[in-house]
Amino acid sequence: MARFIVRSLISAVLTMLIVSAALFFFLEVGSGDVTVKILGIESTPEQRASYRTQLGLNAPAWQRYLDWLAGSDWRAERAVGLPLVTVRNESTDEAEWWAERDGELVRWTMRDGELYQLTRQADGSSVESPADVAWQEGENGASYFWGVDADNNAVMWMRGAGETVWVRTKAGFRKEGDGPREYIPLRKGLLRFDAGKSLQTGRPVSVTLWPRVRNTLILAGLAFLIVMPLAVFLGVIAGINEGTWIDRVISIGGLALTATPEFVTGIFLILIFGVWWRVFPAVAIFTSPNAIFEKPMLLVLPVMTLTAVELGYVARMTRASMVEVMEAPYIRTAAIKGMPRRRIVMRHALRNALLAPITIIMLHVNWLIGGVVVVEAIFGYPGLGSYIYSAAIFGDPNAVEAAAMLLVIIAVATRLIGDAAYMLLNPRIRYS
Amino acid sequence: MTVAPQTIDVPPSPSRWSRAWDNLSLVFASRIATVGLVIVLLWLVLGIVSLFWTPYPPNSSLFTQNLMPNSTNWLGTDHLGRDILSRLMAGTQVVLLKTRLPGENGWVIPGGVAVWGVIGALFFGSVLGLNAGYRGGWWDQIIMQVLDALVAFPAIVLYLVIITAFEQGDLVVVFAITVTGTPGIARLVRSLALDIKTRDYIRAAETRGESPSYIMFREILPNARGPVLVDATLRVGYAIFAIGTLGFLGIGLPPPDPDWGSMVNDARRFIFVFSWGVIPPSVAIASLVIGLNLFADGMREELGRYQK
Repeated sequence: MARFIVRSLISAVLTMLIVSAALFFFLEVGSGDVTVKILGIESTPEQRASYRTQLGLNAPAWQRYLDWLAGSDWRAERAVGLPLVTVRNESTDEAEWWAERDGELVRWTMRDGELYQLTRQADGSSVESPADVAWQEGENGASYFWGVDADNNAVMWMRGAGETVWVRTKAGFRKEGDGPREYIPLRKGLLRFDAGKSLQTGRPVSVTLWPRVRNTLILAGLAFLIVMPLAVFLGVIAGINEGTWIDRVISIGGLALTATPEFVTGIFLILIFGVWWRVFPAVAIFTSPNAIFEKPMLLVLPVMTLTAVELGYVARMTRASMVEVMEAPYIRTAAIKGMPRRRIVMRHALRNALLAPITIIMLHVNWLIGGVVVVEAIFGYPGLGSYIYSAAIFGDPNAVEAAAMLLVIIAVATRLIGDAAYMLLNPRIRYS
Repeated sequence: MTVAPQTIDVPPSPSRWSRAWDNLSLVFASRIATVGLVIVLLWLVLGIVSLFWTPYPPNSSLFTQNLMPNSTNWLGTDHLGRDILSRLMAGTQVVLLKTRLPGENGWVIPGGVAVWGVIGALFFGSVLGLNAGYRGGWWDQIIMQVLDALVAFPAIVLYLVIITAFEQGDLVVVFAITVTGTPGIARLVRSLALDIKTRDYIRAAETRGESPSYIMFREILPNARGPVLVDATLRVGYAIFAIGTLGFLGIGLPPPDPDWGSMVNDARRFIFVFSWGVIPPSVAIASLVIGLNLFADGMREELGRYQK
């Protein structure tokens, strides 16, 4: 048992590594020039090139992959030469990076070629003073300095090089003669739960992702709670009545429900309950972050759609398993010795018949996730699925990668749990 | 003394046609499979007809917008005044009958996006599965590890990533279907190969000194075809499902050719003023997928009965 668990854990970790690399390089190959999408098509090639530098996109792909996975602060600390720390900003609830120098937290900012130092005060504000930093001699008479800027990047400022660069600030683009040349966006990396900044919104992914995850968990959890007992009940009914009309209705109905795409089911439910009868809201637009708790009616149609899609599959699995068990010799023995049918089903058949569905349901989580993405897109439900959908459409690699990795972790974890559950419940199986 | 020449009654070997008929009768033995086949054939015929004739040109706005079904437009018109029946018929083409190649020439190859996607998955899945199953050892370990990683991707995420990574196009959707379908087919082929490789005829081939690739593709694969083909039928269903979903999300097959998923998506925006519009394309997708599922299900049942 222990060996099996260790082996599957290793396999899961390997899987995750392969997936993360594949995901990263897939987006790397194709996502096009993201700066065009952020800056608009009116931006000039110079502005785009400068902005690419500012986003740290000029580093080689393997470097950015490592940054993404394990963080860039190691690399940045070596460049800056000071320990870098994160402090939570009380007003935005987001993490800020500061360099720690002589017990003070400092950052730098450059205006009109002059470098200023920002020193963090205890209340979170900062005091500006002219920077007293040691500029290092660079090539052809220019000098440079590595520091941390106010936008959570490690930056190499350069003066005397005579090149102009575009700097994008909150107010727009600014042209600077002396200024930042190289950026390392600071992040802790996925392994330390920091997925970087969303290029679409400019906010950290890890902050914006959690409310979405919560919404999705509520949606999927409710659907799961409804689907499981109902589907198992229908499956068992169909299984013990194999070949009768009840069985036919449940089997073919289940097949039809499974084979109907989620969006078709959703559209029909909207049509019936939202448009013709007007009993439930046809869209799940959130007017406040906690809208689900204030207006639970928003959840009815999304949960119903998800339920309809999952119901057929689980019911058919349970039925198949039940049919198989009912044909087993020990059931016949029980029947021959005169045990009442109800008792045979409840005591002998059910426990064994439920083994297979449990694992299959665990493997089925991937399918459920697909359903969630579509259902959230239909109803405009602000969950993980619509998050990844809009991020993918925009081509926002940080957000897509973080959300996709989260889904992959969920899928891999449930599969592990499914395997383990199957082993615990079925002592006949021995994994080597 | 003459001896009458001995005559042996050699039963004539069954002709191709009679064998094909035997296979077909397997379909008709199951009522479910028959129903499924009829539905699929209905769409196939509609699609083939639409290659030559549709009631009206599917892409031109000839009528008033958002009409209910009437004697001119049997299924009504959409939000741009196009005939829904014509669009529905033509929508079969991209899924089942033709794949548009990228480029300005407008070249198409026969066989729809769903079909080519599944053929791709069949090809890669068989190659990987056979190698994993027959060779075993490291081949098996590595192939299965990579495939496990692919399976861990929720299919929809894989679709989203692939389609955002490349331009919209028929071939991208084919590629996406191939990638998502390969692991499942590979697993199936692997398990079949593990079973078949213990048979005597494989031992015989090995003793004859046949190469591994001969054994894999000429001995194992033909003997594994039944379950693989049933699985492939199911996968065509999933592929149509996926194409519909992608079209609905607005990232599927590119315009101008009508595509059922995007028809639903377009009509959905007018659902409060004209709710009829979403119904025909929704029913079309659902019925075709259900038809393929019924067919595959019935076939599996029949094949299973055969093997018992």
